[in-house]
Amino acid sequence: MALTTAPDPTRPDPGSVRAHADRRGSGRVRHSEGLAGYVFLSPWLIGLMGVTAIPMLLSLYLSFTNYDILTPFSEVEWVGLANYERMFTADPSYWHAVRVTLTFALIAVPLKLAAALGVALLLNRAWRGVGLFRGLFYLPSLLGGSVALAIVWVNMFNRDGAFNSLLSIFGITGKPWVNDPDWALETLMVLAIWQFGAPMVIFLAGLKQVPTELYEAASVDGAGRFRQFRNVTLPMLSPVIFFNLVLETINGFQGFTAAFVLSNGLGGPVDSTLMYTLNLYITGFTDLEMGYASAMAWVFLLAIAVLTAIFFSTGRFWVHYSDGEDR
Amino acid sequence: MHPATPPTTNAPVGRSHRTPLSRRRLLRGLLAVTVAAPLMFGAAACGEDDGGAADPNAPVKLSIFWWGGDARAKLTEDALALYTSKHPNVTFEKTWQANQGYFDKLATLTAGGNPPDLFQIDDNYLAEYAARSTTLDLTSYQKSGKLDTSKFPESLWQYGVVDGKLVGLAAGENTQGLVYNKTLLTKHNLPEPTTGMTWEQHIAWAEEVSKKTGVPGTQDPSADYKALWVWLRQQGKDLYKGKELGFTAEDVTKWFELWKSARDRKATPTADVIHEGNATDITKQLVVTGKAGTSWVWANQMPDLKKNTKDELGVIAYPGDPSAQWARASMYWSVFKGSKNKDVAVDVINFLNNDLEAVKLLGTDRGLPSNQDLRRVVNDGTTDPAMQQSIAVEAELTQKFGKSPQVPIKGHSKVRTELTKAAENAQYGRATPAQAAAQFIEACKSAIA
Repeated sequence: MALTTAPDPTRPDPGSVRAHADRRGSGRVRHSEGLAGYVFLSPWLIGLMGVTAIPMLLSLYLSFTNYDILTPFSEVEWVGLANYERMFTADPSYWHAVRVTLTFALIAVPLKLAAALGVALLLNRAWRGVGLFRGLFYLPSLLGGSVALAIVWVNMFNRDGAFNSLLSIFGITGKPWVNDPDWALETLMVLAIWQFGAPMVIFLAGLKQVPTELYEAASVDGAGRFRQFRNVTLPMLSPVIFFNLVLETINGFQGFTAAFVLSNGLGGPVDSTLMYTLNLYITGFTDLEMGYASAMAWVFLLAIAVLTAIFFSTGRFWVHYSDGEDR
Repeated sequence: MHPATPPTTNAPVGRSHRTPLSRRRLLRGLLAVTVAAPLMFGAAACGEDDGGAADPNAPVKLSIFWWGGDARAKLTEDALALYTSKHPNVTFEKTWQANQGYFDKLATLTAGGNPPDLFQIDDNYLAEYAARSTTLDLTSYQKSGKLDTSKFPESLWQYGVVDGKLVGLAAGENTQGLVYNKTLLTKHNLPEPTTGMTWEQHIAWAEEVSKKTGVPGTQDPSADYKALWVWLRQQGKDLYKGKELGFTAEDVTKWFELWKSARDRKATPTADVIHEGNATDITKQLVVTGKAGTSWVWANQMPDLKKNTKDELGVIAYPGDPSAQWARASMYWSVFKGSKNKDVAVDVINFLNNDLEAVKLLGTDRGLPSNQDLRRVVNDGTTDPAMQQSIAVEAELTQKFGKSPQVPIKGHSKVRTELTKAAENAQYGRATPAQAAAQFIEACKSAIA
């Protein structure tokens, strides 16, 4: 019998906890507490409405119009579903951008998570100076979507960049990575993978939460390192893996800065780095087709929402919460 | 059965009630926030539409926006300060930035209902803005003499007319210029190229340069609309005719084939280096990075190019008959249609173009001064050797210039990027010239539709 399925007598039924909380205090106190809550919340709430929610709804409206930025709002024409129709039927570069983005996310995200988990496992041990290494591995992701980093990358992976100098020591003639349509996107993937620090830190935190007793028990049962990893670490870590997977997938799809800098904002060479968001930006700001770009943004939002929903629905089968609430 | 496990369960399970639960809540909460994270584009806009100011002495703050480097900023600020000293009620709110991203910013400012009263623009975008009635029609000011173009070459101010409206006034004149590395040629005893060489002669010359120096003789300009444009005009075609393209797929195929043969003969660099040089950034031009013998630029960019290299540079016209080139407005000043200070803005444009002191201050930074009388004064006073070269070649070409083409139409910026895409497809060998040309024509049709 599995441990997690054992009923726990010390634990009150979660439903009764909530019921108890609801009974607590009189209605008036709750009301004024609620009001105070909203007052404290208001700076954030106003920001959310003004900077996010309202513009977002506006862009939904714009996605059904031919808005071109320069024309005043009042003269915008309603075009129905024309923008969406064009996207799905008459815009090859849109689908090209979709392909580029999917390729990027499908390769870079799993590799980044694997790198993050691998290094987290190494850094989870009590080595001397392990704190220093944690800091060092985390450093690249602090630089995040920085423009400076992308510029460094371009210069490192040029024909006469540092990476090729390194290769030439071993007698290998490198490629002009960032300027080669067959390699430019891969170069961006390497950049994304290299910034594995953020998921790594979360993995580390997750690893710290795994009770050592479980390992002790497993090793008493005769489980080796690999089996311990497979049967203890992975299941215990699955909520964190899930979290990182969803987060990094969304991040991966939204990749913009590096592609923008590497290609001078054009998605080149030969559209090889034309990520979805970059295509959207070019459509909106260079081609001035902001209505169409808004439609792209909404399809993108829906696609990510659907993808996330799929993650959540499949999560039941492989994500284990040790409190057993999800059974 | 697990004989050893039961005793160890109590403590950890008891503890894990709270921690994993709260951890899980935290994770879920974080996820919810992230998933809901905004993917928003679009901005609110509100137009302001008022007439010109009534009282001529009321204080006016005029916003002005241009692209360029530090040097241009200094010159422009000096000229504007001069205006303020003559009209103390007028002060300026100056904004300037690098060329890359300038038009994104201008579009965003316009959308935000906060566009500058006066802004710099070029022929790549003039029609886009004019077609959307963002720019003020300056015709009435020109007729009343408040905007004096009497000393301008006729074809130069006409190059600011879109759909019968004068929507931008030339801030200077330039033309296509082929810049070559003089030092490289002298070192290897190679002849300098000259204006009037045919395209075939140019490529043969470049092949020779590649052989003797090891540096590819010329940048491949097949992705460059301004080179294609000159070449088309020499074939009796044009970039645009009315609202249509002025060329066919066959023309573009020939153009791409011309440069394919040049690449095959090693007259040009490899595709990845060509791609580097296709960036509009001055500092990346192959003639200054030493990766090719020539670059295809605008003649007034000579001084900026010279700042980025120790080598001596020379400048001539693009190959073929130079009458395919024209007196192009290097950039324009345009006034925002909804500006509250239209009259003042127009007066400032007039001042920057026709006041001797102002024009002297501005020099040739935005191209040769549009006012020909003042141009002579400024040219004589120029001391920068690179600028003198640029002036010399333009003075020579002025005798040969052909008629100005129409200003590129709405959709032109897309046409430009599509040309780059198609040409690079051919350069990297991913498409034949004919395929690339067909792809380009197809994309253009939807761009200018």
